[in-house]
Amino acid sequence: MNQIWNIFRKDCRHYWREASVSLALLAAFGWNDVRGWTRGEYLAAGIGGLFSYNFLSGLTDFLVPISWAFLVVRVIQGESLVGDRQFWLTRPYEWKKLLAAKVIFSLVFVNCPLLILDVFLLSKAGFTPTKYVIGLLWMQLMIVLFFLLPTIALATVTASLVQTLLALLFIALYLVGMAALATQIPSSDFSGPSDSLLASLFIGVCLAVILTQYVRRNTFKSRLLIVGLAAAILILLVATPYRVLVAREWPQLSAGQQQPFQLGILPAETSASAIAPPDEKEVELQVPLSLTGLSSESIVIVNGILVTIDAPDGLRWDSGWKSPGIFLFPEQKNTRVDFTLKRKLFERMQSSRVNLRLYVAFTLFRDKDRRQFVVPRDKFVLSNVGLCSAEPGYVPTIHCLAPLRQPSFLLLTTDMSAYTCPLGKGESPASAGELARGWSQNRGSEPAELGISPVATFNLYLAHSNGSSNKRLGDGICPGTAIVLSNPEPLFRNQIALQADGVRLAEYRLQPLRLTFGNVQSTSQ
Amino acid sequence: MNNAIHTENLVKRFRKVEALRGLNLTVPEDSIYALVGPNGAGKTTVIKILMNIFKTTLGYAEVMGRRSGELNGRQFTSIGYVSENQELPEWMRLDRFFDFLRPFYPSWDRDLERDLMRQFDLPVDRKLGKLSRGMRMKAALASALAFHPKLIVLDEPFTGLDPLVRDELIQGLLERAEESTIFISSHDLAEIESFASHVGYLEQGQLRFSEEMTVLADRFREVELTFETPPPLPAKVPVEWMQVNCSAGVVHFVESRFDQEKTNARIRELFGEVRNVTFAPMSLRSIFLAMARTGREEQ
Repeated sequence: MNQIWNIFRKDCRHYWREASVSLALLAAFGWNDVRGWTRGEYLAAGIGGLFSYNFLSGLTDFLVPISWAFLVVRVIQGESLVGDRQFWLTRPYEWKKLLAAKVIFSLVFVNCPLLILDVFLLSKAGFTPTKYVIGLLWMQLMIVLFFLLPTIALATVTASLVQTLLALLFIALYLVGMAALATQIPSSDFSGPSDSLLASLFIGVCLAVILTQYVRRNTFKSRLLIVGLAAAILILLVATPYRVLVAREWPQLSAGQQQPFQLGILPAETSASAIAPPDEKEVELQVPLSLTGLSSESIVIVNGILVTIDAPDGLRWDSGWKSPGIFLFPEQKNTRVDFTLKRKLFERMQSSRVNLRLYVAFTLFRDKDRRQFVVPRDKFVLSNVGLCSAEPGYVPTIHCLAPLRQPSFLLLTTDMSAYTCPLGKGESPASAGELARGWSQNRGSEPAELGISPVATFNLYLAHSNGSSNKRLGDGICPGTAIVLSNPEPLFRNQIALQADGVRLAEYRLQPLRLTFGNVQSTSQ
Repeated sequence: MNNAIHTENLVKRFRKVEALRGLNLTVPEDSIYALVGPNGAGKTTVIKILMNIFKTTLGYAEVMGRRSGELNGRQFTSIGYVSENQELPEWMRLDRFFDFLRPFYPSWDRDLERDLMRQFDLPVDRKLGKLSRGMRMKAALASALAFHPKLIVLDEPFTGLDPLVRDELIQGLLERAEESTIFISSHDLAEIESFASHVGYLEQGQLRFSEEMTVLADRFREVELTFETPPPLPAKVPVEWMQVNCSAGVVHFVESRFDQEKTNARIRELFGEVRNVTFAPMSLRSIFLAMARTGREEQ
């Protein structure tokens, strides 16, 4: 203990400047985070200026982890584990005590201030911190496992800050390369190896590196472990059977199972146009779908779409699984699926009639815990959500603060005819039964999200649930508006297939957006 | 007598370079052992293996009865190590450095620390990074002596130091020699000769000899043979004779296994009648030079 305390004290004396900067940045983060909770500040986020919430938020979000990493790397490298000239190698240091001193330093100057700040932020936001002890500890654990552990591991295999920065550059290049490779592997952005497998691998290698360095100082072996981890992730990315995983996670409906809703491919819409000019090398297509049979208690999230096209000449194209971000509500009659084709391929297929297949991977939710509330003038508590406010404005939004994490699944529903905001000039009120919905989801089931602040800030945007309606949603959400809040519960996941034979792809092509400048009309083509 | 250091067939390779080639070294307890040899001979590598800074490729090294690869914090409470290229915490003031080290050593002697500070005339309020090279070496040595180490390992401690500082360092060492084994590598042969009890000569990763200084001094002689007429040099000279050369009727060589009777007999056998024979004792420096030159010629 004497040795641990001795090393810790020495590090405190040496690195007090770095520790002070890190604490000051953390305080600045806290101050700015509190500012961001105010809706006015939040809305003004886009306005520039050195002291604007947006600017400071971006700055502190970036600088706080950097200052922590800098501090931890400096402290670890104070007794560098790489090299053969350090005085401490031939002094009576015991590796366990040296490591303990470094870990205690990191806990004292990273975790403790963060925990204090988090308790303060929860109180300031109006939540009782003692109710969220597990979540707060979870946040600390996440910081240790996914921030401190890799930082310490990196610091133990590098001799100086310059070497650490070079290592970070290599890691950044590796990540860019992996991201580029992932775009070339179909379905890799939709499914993949489980997060827990990757996390275990990552944490295991970090621990192995740290122990190898402190016990044996075998830098070559430790660096080899890191390269091995990078290679293992690369192999997982390339060799994962994505389609098998999708088929296992979203199985086909079994023979006796009743389909909870019906989707059908509709004829092409002639007036549809691309939202943005497509890339010259690609052609954007849109397939309209009809929706029927979805019960009033049900909601569907389309998790993935796979499109295949078979041309008469034997040519086959496959989009790979993509996440379309489509929600289906009971009152909805139709929806659309967008995808892009390489121009050359499109030109080859457009003149002939092709067979089109859509595979839809979805999750069926049952609406649950419905409760109605009337939007008050001031802030209000939404049960199982947090503290919210709805102020008049152009965008119909409810701004919420939640302790530790955004709620898992949350649905807001309102009858647009009961909107209390005054109608604009020339606008007609919505008819009864026309619904607006707002959806929020947070897939994780952990007690808290990884981050610095324990107060999750999120917005619930209300939009017409029937995409074809063109009516405006009034001026935001005004006091007196009745809203139904519910927490949909996922029931099951399945996959269905839709087929349309003999279709002409050209009919489903989105028209390029036409931009008009004076008398000159230009298109993207 | 026990051995403070013992190695057997020690091999160290750095990729393709073989720094040590089967080194067998024994340093008796309570000796002052000087390891000498030309640059690149492998002296620092031996020391770093002994101090568990480098791992061995092959072979075995033992320090104070424990394998060098197993030396840990506890063993270093009785080992003092000073190296010319050791990195000290330059940001620390000297007094803080000693304050920091003190709790690591159960046998730390505050009085001895003060004596050493005084003896080496060390400025306690100065940062280590601001000290001159000589001062830094003295500070390092003081920090390695103040806990009464059983083994003191010094890697080129005198390199680049002025004579006064060298003298102070040697004085400081000698005053503690009775309680410790000292293992020192150095180029400063004249200084080493004045206090080493044993000497080992390392060349190309192999120990050419390792013995007591007195035995070494008795073994080496500079031999000068004077002839009436310049003699032809024999085609084959004994392997113990080094640097054999002849000029104007005088033959010079270094005898590395001197025994007056045997050497005289060998001279007569090879040269016949010699007008005059002289055997001059050699300094460690002369022995080192003769060994080094012979080694280079053999290469």
